Formats: sequence, C-alpha cells, structure tokens
Amino acid sequence: MRAETRERIEKLFDRYPEKRGALLPALYLAQAERGFVDREAAREVAELFDLAPVEVMEVLTFYNMFHTEPQGRHHVYVCTSLPCSLRGSRTLLRELGEHLGVGPGETTADGRISLDREECLGSCGTAPVLRVDGRYCENLDLDSARRIVDELE
Amino acid sequence: MPTIQIDGKEYEVEQGRTVLQAIDDLGLLMNGVEIPHYCWHPKLSIDGSCRLCQVEIEGVSKLQIACNTLVRDGMEIRTTTEAVRDAREGVMELLLVNHPLDCPICDQAGECKLQDYAFEYGAKHARTREPRRPAKKAIELGPTIVFDQERCILCRRCVRFCREVPRTGELGVFSRGEESRLEVFPGMKLDNPYSMNVADICPVGALTTKDFRFKVRVWFLDDVPSVCNGCSKGCNVWGSRSNNRLYRYLPRRNDAVNQTWICDTGRLSYKQFSEGRLSLPRIRGRETGYTEALAAAVRILSEAREAGAAVVGVASPFAANEDLFALRGLLSDLAAPDAVYTVPRGDSDDLLIQAEKAPNAAGARELGMRESAEGPGKAAVAIVLGHGFGPEAFEEVDALILIDTHESPLLQAAEVAVPSRSFAEKLGTFTNSARRVQRFQPMLEPRFEAWSEGEIVWRIGAGLGLDRFRSAYDPAAISRQIAEEFPAFAGISLESLDDAGRELG
Repeated sequence: MRAETRERIEKLFDRYPEKRGALLPALYLAQAERGFVDREAAREVAELFDLAPVEVMEVLTFYNMFHTEPQGRHHVYVCTSLPCSLRGSRTLLRELGEHLGVGPGETTADGRISLDREECLGSCGTAPVLRVDGRYCENLDLDSARRIVDELE
Repeated sequence: MPTIQIDGKEYEVEQGRTVLQAIDDLGLLMNGVEIPHYCWHPKLSIDGSCRLCQVEIEGVSKLQIACNTLVRDGMEIRTTTEAVRDAREGVMELLLVNHPLDCPICDQAGECKLQDYAFEYGAKHARTREPRRPAKKAIELGPTIVFDQERCILCRRCVRFCREVPRTGELGVFSRGEESRLEVFPGMKLDNPYSMNVADICPVGALTTKDFRFKVRVWFLDDVPSVCNGCSKGCNVWGSRSNNRLYRYLPRRNDAVNQTWICDTGRLSYKQFSEGRLSLPRIRGRETGYTEALAAAVRILSEAREAGAAVVGVASPFAANEDLFALRGLLSDLAAPDAVYTVPRGDSDDLLIQAEKAPNAAGARELGMRESAEGPGKAAVAIVLGHGFGPEAFEEVDALILIDTHESPLLQAAEVAVPSRSFAEKLGTFTNSARRVQRFQPMLEPRFEAWSEGEIVWRIGAGLGLDRFRSAYDPAAISRQIAEEFPAFAGISLESLDDAGRELG
C-alpha cells in the first residue's frame, strides 16, 4: 500500500466512535490502488486497525464489491435476487459465462471482463438487470446482454 | 441479585449474566435445564449465530436466544413449551440443510452434538430435495487439525477460540450466506500451542485432530478424570481409555486451573505411558526379578547403615506427594540429608504453559526437599527417583539404587534398577505451581510388574526392618500423615479431595 493511502486511512479513524468502524471506507481506499485487495494489503490494513488479518479478510469476502484477486478492465455483474431470477437472470448468468468462457467470480483470460453475480440492484421493475462498470443495463435477454459485453473494450 | 423463574422454579442469579450463563452458573445447563446450543461456549464470547437456544420469556412476544438475553428480576423463562420445541425443530432443519448426514463414516459419531440434538429435538425426516452445497473434505488446516467442510455448521466457536484464547486469529468465516465457509487466512496455517482445542469445541465432526481421528470409536472409550503431568500447571484432563490403552486426553473443565483448555504438548503427553518404559528390574545391567532387585537394594542399604556410610536421596518432581513423603521417611530413618531434585525447564506463556516441565515441583518444595543443579554429591549409596539427573551427577556415588518409570542413560550407572508405575497407573496427588493439590487415579493397569515409587520405597524400608514401614503401603494413609505433619496440607487428603482439587493453606 502506498504511504499516501495509509495516511488517508489513518485520517478516517476520528470520524467513527470505534476505529474498526472505518474499515469499509479504508478498504475502498486500499482497493482504489490496484482494483483489488490482496492478502498483503489485507495484512497492512489489519495492522493499521489492530485487527487479525483474517478479520479483514472476512469483511473483504463478505461484500462482493471488494475483490481479493486482480480484476478485469470491466466488471459485469448479473443481479440474481428473486425478481431477476424469476425473469431468467440465473440462466442469463450461466449463458453469459459460457459466452465469455468464465464462471461467476472469474476474469477472462485476456483480462477484459470480470463476471460476477450481484445481490438486489433495486431495479426489480426492469428485471433482469446487469451492472456494467457502475452503469445499469435493464430489461435484458441473452442477445442484448451479449451485445453489451461484446462492445466492451 | 435478580430472581428468575425457569420452568416454574425460582433461582437467584447474578446481575449482568445472560440467561444461558446464569443457568450454567447454577450448574443446571443440560443437567436439569435442557437448552441445546452450538455457538455458545462458557469460555468464549457470545456469538448468537446458531439460534438453537431459543426460550420463551413471559411478556415477550417472540422467542429469545438464551445465550444473549440478559437476566432481569422477575423474569419467567420457559424451556419446554411447544413454541420452543417447534423453534428447535426448525433450527435443526436449517442446520441440517447442507449436512451430509454421514454419521456412519464420521469420527465424531457418538459424541456429536448435531447427532444428539437432531435425535432429541429434530424432525425425523428431511423435507429438502435440493442438493447439498458442494464442499471439500479432509482439508489440512495445519499440523494438528483436519477440516471437513461438509459437516461445518458455522457456529464460529473455533474462530472465536483462536482470536480470544491463544490470540493467534488464524481462522475466519469467509464469504456470505450459502457460500460461507471456514478458512484460514490465505497462506497461513492453524498452528499455535493450543490448536487442538478447536476439535474439542467443534460441536460437530468438522474439526478433528490428526492424532485421534479414526483411531477408535468413542463408544468403546471410557473417560477417567486425571491431571496432565506435562508441566506444573496441572491441567485437568479426561483420559479416554479402552482395553487398557489410552487413546487421548481431553481437557476437563476446572475454572480454577485450566478453564476448559489444554495445550497441545500436554494433550499428546498421554503417549508417554506406552513408550520407552523400564519394564524389567536390573542388577548391574542384568535383568532380574522384582523380589531379587528389592532384596539387592535392601542389602546395599543395610550394609551402608552398618558401616555408617553416607546415604543420599534424589526425589523426582514427577513423583506424587505420597511417593515423596515415603522417600522422606526412609531418608530420615537412614540419617540421610533432605532429598534433592531437579526440574526440567522450558518455554512458558501467560495462558497455561508453565516453565517447570514437571507436575509436582511445588510438592517437592512443600515437603522440604531442595532443588539442586549438581545432584546429591558424594555418598556410598544414592536412592534415586527418576532420571532428572544424568549419570555425571553420580560420579561420586558408589552404589546407585534407581527407581524409575522410563529407560534412560542413568540405567547404565545403576547398581539396582526397579521399574515403577507411571502416574497413569497409580493413585496419588500432585501440587501444582499455584499450590493446588490435585488427585489422580489409575487410568491404566501396568503391563508388567511395577509398584509406585512410594510402595517400592516402602518395601525397601520394611526390608530394612524400619518401624514406620511396618504396616501395608497405603497412599491414603500417607496423605493423612502429610496433612498431620505439614500445616499447609491441613484438611487435604486423598479421601477428602474431589476432582477439582484444593489449594494449600
């Protein structure tokens, strides 16, 4: 982790009644460096927080906005909560995975796309929904979803 | 102090305790008041994750988890109502959703809380048709523990143990929801001096020790209360035995000594009783009978007595108080100085592990024996318990009478060597480093002729015609004599001690 990131994390501590309350924003800062937080970075964050490294890893793996492995240039998340699932998102996830040659949580060999599932994106009325690099793509079927990912650089 | 009602009976409990803690304090948990639980453990922080300990509380509309609900005055708790039964059945059903139900090939079977509670509180049939989640089997978490992910119910007892007791924090529950799984931090191993306790506290067959798994079915074992002799802490243990063989130690709860824990070294020390034992008496290295060896010892000592030659004694911090007291009597009758002893030393920590690697160094001190680095010095005869000192300590001794449990280099130097019982094969007491006297009883029958150190000394004394050894050897009578002679031991004897032990006065 860069010294600058450490400093920014340390400045967060005062904002919370307990130091560990700052863990989520700290992990966002840590992730901003390279797009993921590996075990070494997790150890460094744990040290700043006086936590066991494994506690930081528990938080990192609990939230799927955090990554512990290098990620692709683009993130494609498929919502798999109930309304999207009823509208075929699980099939969509599987077929999109076959199209890209990766499973959920994996990155294409060329480093272009990381595919994953996502909990409710809050857009049930337009299910099924993809989130692509923070942008919502709604009312999808396999063809439209394929077109969207194929257009990614 | 608040008064609470449990199933209609009133109890006074301590303020600030939770319902489950209060019931445990009263000694009633699963012993009169049946509240099944997985994640709650008396010596770990509260998790509240398993949801099995739900009880009904008067005036509260929903069931509450007993482990994390504070007692208050006048609280009326019910543990046997239909609502409670239904809740338990529901929780058990959820806990079993991903369980492989492989009890016939699971090493925990027979001492598994999942098995017991499913039988006691669960439904008789599974309603799920979905496949169980994929999981791995036989994952080595470290040098001592094997993990079966299929069987884990994610109670987090092991996670909390590693963080709160050895404070090594190797384990965590990673990911979320159905994908949650117990793991070590990437690249780390579950490797600390107390690691095997996680297998004890694991309520299911997920964590097992490499040492014990698949060695024996637990229903063939019976457990004898005893004390670990690995260091001067004197952790309380159960020795699990079958067919005159020990298969393991389990920590036995004693809040005044070891809580519910034991270190890994101590846990594995049950092996000492079968390895490297001195099994046949010897005279000048030649194997002989027990009677012949004792007669030789008596002859050597009586010759020394007649010649007015110096006799010295070496005590052992591995011997029981009763053995040491018998030796003390013999030495005093032979006008020998107080016995000396030496204590092996090693690492220590602030949890359980003590630097003195012997169970009864404090006992030897209390009984007036003297620690020495050199040994007994110059003498015609030395009566020696154990092999704390090497042969070099006896270079100025003409005849060495050795009484020992195990073979050692000292055997070559001994004029007479007599095999003695290990503490696992006899009755006696140790005094731990906190001056607590603890009783142990035979876990095993000796596999060869052997008496306790005390009894060997006793029979030598009787052979010499000494008055105090005229009656039959009786460790209980000796422990009463210790109490008479040493004020600190007042009121403490083999008969008056219970399995929790008692501190010296």
